[in-house]
Amino acid sequence: MLRYIARRIIQFIPVFLGVTLILFVMQNVVPGDPIKLIAGEKKLDPQTEINLRASYHLIETDENGAPIFDEEGNTIETPLWKRYISYITGLLHGDLGRSYQQNGKEVTKILSQKYPYTFKLAVVAIVLESIIGIAAGMVSAIKRYSAWDVGVTLVTSGLVAMPAFWFGMLQQLFWGILMKQWTGGGFYLPISGTGGPYAEFPSWVYYILPALTLAAVSTAYTARIMRSQLLEVLNQDYIRTARAKGLSRRAVIWRHALKNALIPVVTYIGMDFGGMLAGAILTETVFNWPGVGFETYRAISQRDWPIVMGSVTVIVIVVMVINLIVDISYAFLDPRIRFDGSNNE
Amino acid sequence: MADMTMNRRTFVSGSLAASALAALAACGNNAGGSGSAEGGASGDKVIKFYINNPVAIDPYNTQESEGTQVEHILFDALTDYDWDKGEIVGKAATSWDVNDDATEFTFHLVEGAKFHNGDPVDAASFKRGWERICDPTMTTPSEIRYHLDPVKGAAEMADGSATELEGVEAVDDLTLKVTLTAPMADFPYICAHPALAPVPQAALDDPESFLVAPIGNGPFMMDGEWVADQYINTVRFDDYYGEPAKIDGIYFSIQKDPDTAFREFEAGNIDFTSVPSGRLGEVSDKYGVSEDGYTVTPGAQTLTGAEASIYYLCVNVEDEVMKDPVVRNAISLAINRENICETVFEGTRQPADCVFPKVIDDDPSNTWENSHYDLEAAAALLDEKYPADADGKRDIQIKLSYNSGGGHEDIMSIIQGDLEKIGITVTQESLEWAAYLDALSDGNYQIGRLGWIADYPTMDNFLYPNFLSTAENNYSKYVNEDVDKALADARQIVDDEERKEAYREANRIIGADMPIIPVMFYSHNHVGSERLSSFFYDAQGKAEFAIAELA
Amino acid sequence: MSDNTTQPAGEQAVEQAQAKEFSAAPSRTLWGDAFQRLRRNKLAVAGAIWIILMVIIAISADLWVPQTLGNPTQTDSTTMASMSRLPPSLEHPFGTDTLGRDVLCRVIYGARISLAVGVLATAISTLIGLVMGALAAYNGGIWDTIIMRFADIFLAFPYTLFVIAMLAVIGPGIQNVFIAIGVLGWPSIARVFRSAILSVKENDYVDAARAMGASDARIIVRHIFPNSVASIVVYATMNIGGAILTESALSFLGMGVVPPDPSWGIMIQDGQTYLATQPWLMIMPGIAILTTVLAFTLLGDGLRDALDVKMKDA
Repeated sequence: MLRYIARRIIQFIPVFLGVTLILFVMQNVVPGDPIKLIAGEKKLDPQTEINLRASYHLIETDENGAPIFDEEGNTIETPLWKRYISYITGLLHGDLGRSYQQNGKEVTKILSQKYPYTFKLAVVAIVLESIIGIAAGMVSAIKRYSAWDVGVTLVTSGLVAMPAFWFGMLQQLFWGILMKQWTGGGFYLPISGTGGPYAEFPSWVYYILPALTLAAVSTAYTARIMRSQLLEVLNQDYIRTARAKGLSRRAVIWRHALKNALIPVVTYIGMDFGGMLAGAILTETVFNWPGVGFETYRAISQRDWPIVMGSVTVIVIVVMVINLIVDISYAFLDPRIRFDGSNNE
Repeated sequence: MADMTMNRRTFVSGSLAASALAALAACGNNAGGSGSAEGGASGDKVIKFYINNPVAIDPYNTQESEGTQVEHILFDALTDYDWDKGEIVGKAATSWDVNDDATEFTFHLVEGAKFHNGDPVDAASFKRGWERICDPTMTTPSEIRYHLDPVKGAAEMADGSATELEGVEAVDDLTLKVTLTAPMADFPYICAHPALAPVPQAALDDPESFLVAPIGNGPFMMDGEWVADQYINTVRFDDYYGEPAKIDGIYFSIQKDPDTAFREFEAGNIDFTSVPSGRLGEVSDKYGVSEDGYTVTPGAQTLTGAEASIYYLCVNVEDEVMKDPVVRNAISLAINRENICETVFEGTRQPADCVFPKVIDDDPSNTWENSHYDLEAAAALLDEKYPADADGKRDIQIKLSYNSGGGHEDIMSIIQGDLEKIGITVTQESLEWAAYLDALSDGNYQIGRLGWIADYPTMDNFLYPNFLSTAENNYSKYVNEDVDKALADARQIVDDEERKEAYREANRIIGADMPIIPVMFYSHNHVGSERLSSFFYDAQGKAEFAIAELA
Repeated sequence: MSDNTTQPAGEQAVEQAQAKEFSAAPSRTLWGDAFQRLRRNKLAVAGAIWIILMVIIAISADLWVPQTLGNPTQTDSTTMASMSRLPPSLEHPFGTDTLGRDVLCRVIYGARISLAVGVLATAISTLIGLVMGALAAYNGGIWDTIIMRFADIFLAFPYTLFVIAMLAVIGPGIQNVFIAIGVLGWPSIARVFRSAILSVKENDYVDAARAMGASDARIIVRHIFPNSVASIVVYATMNIGGAILTESALSFLGMGVVPPDPSWGIMIQDGQTYLATQPWLMIMPGIAILTTVLAFTLLGDGLRDALDVKMKDA
């Protein structure tokens, strides 16, 4: 097992270096200079621009941090590879650099403020997804071709075909605006933000709509996978044998079929959790959720590369860890899987 | 549509339509997070005020409207602009003297003024504050050093060849002498900028905490630290040298966008906010409209007063097509400004006819000849050089460039429709803000859009930074020696009325060349709660909390 | 999302095909049977009809829409104020937008953009995916390692952020949207195709063909490709819906299609401002996306069942 984990981590290193390298190359080819962008349309004066570049180590500086000039009096840009190496070095020391657009705030500080929101929202969404998705999928499979089954199929197809941001807006419209009108302000839900000291509702209420929106598509997938897996398992020989031996259908489903059908579902949910931690940009945008996805999206637009680099780095690592956990959890769900060297890749 | 105002951080407040910063307290820690908030400002007399997350509230880097909003109640600069009188008055300085050619200013400070930590406010504290702005060794150097450009020694300090601001001298505790590199009669207006505030020694001793909990000399002081994306809480400073504030404090509620803020306003959780697009009519009916457009009183709570800012099309005069003034004038005549203000802004904004917003100078002679709507005149102008073919099309192709997501799409589509009416072929280029700025700087555009918010409410601030041939912000690449000379001359005139006349003249020369096409002047679209018995929100978008009253 | 875990989707189909007829060429009866099975699937037929309808409407729009509903992009500043944001009526079934344009008209023209992006982006990613998958699987060794690691890198990126970053680099505009979506979509299809090839490659008839002197390219084109085509068709059909959703999200964020062109995503974003007062502005284009993507999903599901392609749902 430990060897398996070690091997996975070693395999991960080139992927990680590749991802960060691509981002570094992107910085250099994308239109828009982050330092010029700090000032917006009221331009920085040239000296201030040089001072800022020096403070972010974008140009070569002497040991006092003063910029070095070439013979013609121009500053010398720090080469890409040098910056990449110092980024990776910083990363190993837990330093993700400083933001360009937020007055030099440390990226670790920014991310540590954003991640709790994303994480909590993702947990709520995953819980919703697991409960509703698995239940709906089971009902659908067990009562195949019933009205339930047709209903679940139609709803899940619809949810999968909807833009998530649109679904979120429909919920805002219904729960926040129409409900308020219909009940004369008696009952409605907050449709954006996360609450706060003077907020209208207790904080947990603010989670309802974004979590539902974030969970919607995944719930549909979970239900569909659950349904098809359970149907497949129920067709397997060993289940038929168990039935033939006289076990009740209920007992067969609960004791045997469910466990095996759950494996791909758990895989999906695990991967999905990783995806949600990567930030649900659109859900966070529609609901003003101060999470990491929106922060990263904004950072791309503002060319605030330290934030982009930092959050993608964290995301990639988190997703890798989750994938690893999912794979390892197989061993507990399915004893046939062993992590010896012969694992197929 | 968000907020279309252009400021140094258009991005934060404007260009991500449904966005910018989000946030409020984290879930679980609601109780903990609100502890400090309720600790100081639990009294009834607290105004809850909506802002976006600022870039900085430390004066050394205060720039956009959100940061300024907070910083200007924590700090008093030397002077202040009095919108009622329309002139500059003293604040931390009681008076000042100027020499004959407007290169030396001597400020006399208020006696007995104190910082929030008890330190005295003296001339040295101003020098200290200004030097921080020029200091290249700050962890993040200031981005707003340009304010001090006129001051002698500012450039030397920035490039590291000096460690002190030569032009600023603390003659004694209460006398501050400023020497400029070139004449500038408007300098006291610059001194009104909240960034040019004094700072106590603590700013140098502990810059990290000063960033999130600055110690100033203003009527309010920080209560706890700025909680990013959530709130900033302030309380009245009881040792304030001036008239004490009538309210106990201000709770700046940091919201991501006007839509969210407005919903919190409707729920009674915010006292002052902007009105989302499309809802001004409804809001005006429900809350009543303020008489002067700037003051909220119960029953007259909606503000629509004109702002000191302009939205215009910036024209690349080096472009093959746009270098012809005939084309520029025809385009200006073809744009139905009234319609833009009416359909997109519910009539709040005013069509622009020159560079100066009316609150800066409303002299009727400012109006440019071709800045009104007249399709026939536009067509007539073009007929000679660019005759229309059978379909009414002319041989003019134009690309309208702008930044996406800032609510400019509708305006540009309207302008496109208008120009097509006189036979001009128009395409749009909607770029990300970053890419758009690149295109502007590189002159890689034909017609773009820009906004200008005054840093200081002077006529100079609308002309000098934008139309001087060597100005950094002259995106039009406009060169006119007469304008350069007129602007340089005007700065030296000490007499207020004469100086204004000189700027009006410069405006007329520019208007004849039309390097930009004025579109509209911004206006407030804000609303206050009934709790505010008197609340003034000035044309630069600064709330006067020091004189605000709560019922 | 869970591309990593998707079973080699081609395998089953390939085996099926071989079981039916021990021949390298795709059997006519496979496709014939599939068509019969598809015809019996009512949902899939409904999806197909809807798609055909949308295509006809989109292609013929110039012939009848401007005459009846007006121009989708043009504005008229003289009448705008009175035409702005009218509620749905007989004259304007979906109402009008802020600039007084008919929303139904814009939704119809928006179909052109969505369908074009869906089909072209899918075509690009399928093509790249096929080439990469074939190179990796057929050459094996170092090629396989490099290409698959490359695919891993692409898949490790959070997808939406990657597309956004890509568009930041190449700029907005409809052609760039389908390039970005297309280019970034290749790794999943490459993986599917790679495993399909790997399973076919070991078969006797491939060895036989090679022994008879067939070139690698010929073997891929004549023997391997036909046996994986079913899974590719299914995959591509489903992918079109996904590409349409991605396009709408990008336009919603202001990074996609450039105004005044009517993209459904842009229309939803416009409508967001007026959610409380004129909700139809965002509802109508959303329904257009929903029905179109649903149609592709249903058709894809139907094709999968009819062709008996083994795919996990995700």
